[in-house]
Amino acid sequence: MKITKLGEFEELVLLAVAALHKDAYGVEIKRELEKRLKERLSVGSIQSALKRMEEKGFLTSEFGEATQRRGGKRKRIYTTTSHGHKVLADMKEIRAGLWSAIPKLAYELRSVR
Amino acid sequence: MIEPKPIVPPRWPLRLLRLFVKERYLEEIEGDMEEIFYDNVEQLSARRARRIYTWEMLKLWRPILVRNLEVLEKINQYAMLKNYFKVSLRGLMKNPLNSFINVFGLSAAIGICVFAYAFAAWTFGTDQFHEHKSEVYLITFFANRDGVPQQFGRSPRPLGEMIKEDFAQVRNMCRVEDRNVVMKYKDYVFHERVRYVDPAFLEMFTFPLKWGTTNSLKDVSSIVLSEDMATKYFGAANPVGLDILMIFGTGAHGESLSKSFKVTGVAKEFPQARTISFDFLINYDNLRTTDPNYDFHDWNAFVNATFVQLNEPNDLKIIEQSMEKYRKVQNEAVQKDWALSSFAFEPLATLHKRSEFIRDDISRSSSSNYASIVYMCIIAVLIMALACFNYINIAIATAAKRLKEIGLRKTIGATRGLVIFQFLAENVVVTFFALIVGVTLGMTFFIPGFEQMWHFNMGFKLTDPNLWIYLPIILVMTSVASGIYPSLYISRFQVVGILKGSIKFGQRNSMTKIFLCAQLALACVFITMSVMFTQNNSYMAKRSWGYDHAQTMYAQIPDKDGYEELYALMLRNKDIVSISGSSHHLGKTNGTVVLHFPEREVEVDQMMVDAHYFETMGLKIEQGRLFKNHDNADKHAVIINELMAKNMAWANAVDQHFQIDSVQYEVIGVVKDFHSYSFSKPIKPTIFTVADKNDYRFLTLKVREGSEVETFKAMQANWAKLFPEIPFEGGFQEDVWAGYFEANRIYKIVWSVFTFIAVSLAVLGLYGLITLNVAGRIREFSIRKVMGAGIKSIAANIINQYLVLFVLALIVGAPLGFVLTKMLFETSFPYHMPVGFSSSILAVVILILILLSTVFAQIRKVQKMNPVDGLKVE
Repeated sequence: MKITKLGEFEELVLLAVAALHKDAYGVEIKRELEKRLKERLSVGSIQSALKRMEEKGFLTSEFGEATQRRGGKRKRIYTTTSHGHKVLADMKEIRAGLWSAIPKLAYELRSVR
Repeated sequence: MIEPKPIVPPRWPLRLLRLFVKERYLEEIEGDMEEIFYDNVEQLSARRARRIYTWEMLKLWRPILVRNLEVLEKINQYAMLKNYFKVSLRGLMKNPLNSFINVFGLSAAIGICVFAYAFAAWTFGTDQFHEHKSEVYLITFFANRDGVPQQFGRSPRPLGEMIKEDFAQVRNMCRVEDRNVVMKYKDYVFHERVRYVDPAFLEMFTFPLKWGTTNSLKDVSSIVLSEDMATKYFGAANPVGLDILMIFGTGAHGESLSKSFKVTGVAKEFPQARTISFDFLINYDNLRTTDPNYDFHDWNAFVNATFVQLNEPNDLKIIEQSMEKYRKVQNEAVQKDWALSSFAFEPLATLHKRSEFIRDDISRSSSSNYASIVYMCIIAVLIMALACFNYINIAIATAAKRLKEIGLRKTIGATRGLVIFQFLAENVVVTFFALIVGVTLGMTFFIPGFEQMWHFNMGFKLTDPNLWIYLPIILVMTSVASGIYPSLYISRFQVVGILKGSIKFGQRNSMTKIFLCAQLALACVFITMSVMFTQNNSYMAKRSWGYDHAQTMYAQIPDKDGYEELYALMLRNKDIVSISGSSHHLGKTNGTVVLHFPEREVEVDQMMVDAHYFETMGLKIEQGRLFKNHDNADKHAVIINELMAKNMAWANAVDQHFQIDSVQYEVIGVVKDFHSYSFSKPIKPTIFTVADKNDYRFLTLKVREGSEVETFKAMQANWAKLFPEIPFEGGFQEDVWAGYFEANRIYKIVWSVFTFIAVSLAVLGLYGLITLNVAGRIREFSIRKVMGAGIKSIAANIINQYLVLFVLALIVGAPLGFVLTKMLFETSFPYHMPVGFSSSILAVVILILILLSTVFAQIRKVQKMNPVDGLKVE
């Protein structure tokens, strides 16, 4: 498999989008990630990750509803494309494979020492 | 009921966002930001929410979200500009000689511009650091002298206090009086000048203190030092609280009078650009102790300066209107000839600029600095012109090589405007390099060199904000000035003509010739000036001062007793030819006095001397006799100088008389004119009167030839014996004007540097042109050589092209240089060597030699060249 150009942070954002499903818009993604990562994230970092992944074809987006709280501006709902989904699954598999390849004994020995 | 104001996000970050973020993302991001804001308002305070909102907005500045970057990549100009930049860099690399000539010339010019800027900034910034500069005024007055109204910086002694009492608008008042004293701390004993000031001084003139407190001057026994003085006496340690002794005179029985002061403040290092500062500050009231005769209420006497600080600059009008009453009081108190016509207030902000026109002003005048700025600007512009001419000439001469490129550009759709734009853009690149080199040159060579020569520091830094406005202006102006003509010229040609090869240009451009001619003429002007400056300096060094300063030395003495003791000791020295005492001394001090004639009044310089002074100083008597040498002789006799006799139109000056302070004086003799100031100031009408022994302040010696050093040492030794507490002050008469000659030497160096730059620019330009010319005709010369042409014929061939040009340049340049130098000499030197043609001729010869050597370097190259190589081209 060709190495996908997906950064660590981008991968997290992509996962968040997949997890949130229909609710995946900027603020919600930010909230979700902040909760899980336990640190504050800037709108800029999330937005640039989203836009970059959209350009690469991992995501698509469309306008959603507008709320009073948003000053009447519409949300943009992100959904993962099948390509994006596949890349995520691939990454997970690669990781899982690598994890299982770590010799248990070696790891335990090192942690004992 | 009033609704509570709804909390809304701040407006300006949103506007900023709309400016820079891509339009298609706007709605989403705006909405997200607003939602987060209201979330934050609920959880945190409104203020913090706003802060987070603003901060987040700024952090949205990311490449992928910003709109302009996308635009930049999409428009085709981007690629075009990139190409222009690449082409200019390649051009620079391809012709290192031409690039060097261009960059060197422009950077030298820019270096001078930076230097001129630094100097102007320093001059205009003088005394501008005081916070209250626009509320503080110097009280001056106008009075008639010789029928000419003049402004004086002094003021009547009681005036300051009266104004302070009479007007509520005056917040502070400060009188300033300077006195020479001797300062002593442990073994450190020096002559010093102290400033007696009112306690408000440090409030009005905001010199920050390093140690101590500003208001401590209210105490009469406290003293505030400058940083230099603190270091001189106390070293680097904080001296606040230490005592320093001030010796201000000698008592009736020869004991020294002194007062101990406690250091209560040390000023921070003064800004470099200042004229009003101090070494020592003590309370004005100390004058009561140190000078018992000082009458604070005498309208007839003056204080060096009185400053007032107003609550509002607008209040000045009210005070100015009421000055009339003081004028009346003043004019009743003084004699008729000192009557003043009006008072005037000079703001501190412009005092430095104006002080040239104010007599006896404590702020030094610097008209020469303001004049120097003008000269420097002229020189900077001239050098800039030389560099631009070089650029233009080389650009035109090399244009032939770029014809194909331009033709192609035009064919694929470049308009004439775009070609012009391309050439100007290339120019900006070259000028930008020159700017970097030039600023470096200015900061590391011109400015430090200048500061080192004059032993001062302009305190100029690259962080000066105005410099960063000035430099881009220079960049654009220089690029346009040097690039506009070549770009217009080159872009003019038609594509068909270019590609067909039917256009020939570059070598026969008449503008090129005009520019080269102007360059050489300018070089000629610079050489002429430089030659004349050098000649004038040696002329001035030989010029007679009107008296004989060889084997003459002087010592400053405190009073009559000091004089007599030193006189008695020195008289025993066998090497002494003549010895005399005086109140004033040539080249050191003189007084001024108003002479009354029945029909008019004349102000002249006055020197009070004894009968031997003329012999000691070698002043030559022309008419009449000298003073008689016994006490009380010639009390009402004066000896005048020739200029005075000439000004008064006296055919026979002896026996003429006039009044000084209602006492009748009679002229008994006339001495030859002499310089009591440096050669940079004109001789003034001067009278000599007999000095009262109590007023002797100088002891002057004429010694046997060869014994100067020995006698001087003996005098110093005698002094140390007599006055162990007071440092010796005196020297050889020859050294009095050392500073003046040093200044002249520096002018010469400065001119030589400018001349060197100007001439090397002109020569480099010429060299570049000839090189290109010869390179273009290399085949022709090869064929000529093959056919048997000798070096003579080839040399004639090359020179012929430039001969007319050289002659024309010299015909214009030599007389121009002559006239300009003459003008410069006449406006800035009252005395100078006769401006003759010899210097012009010398300059012309120098220039011809330089030109010929430049041309011959090329001729030699052609001579040594193998014609086969020349024909093998392509």
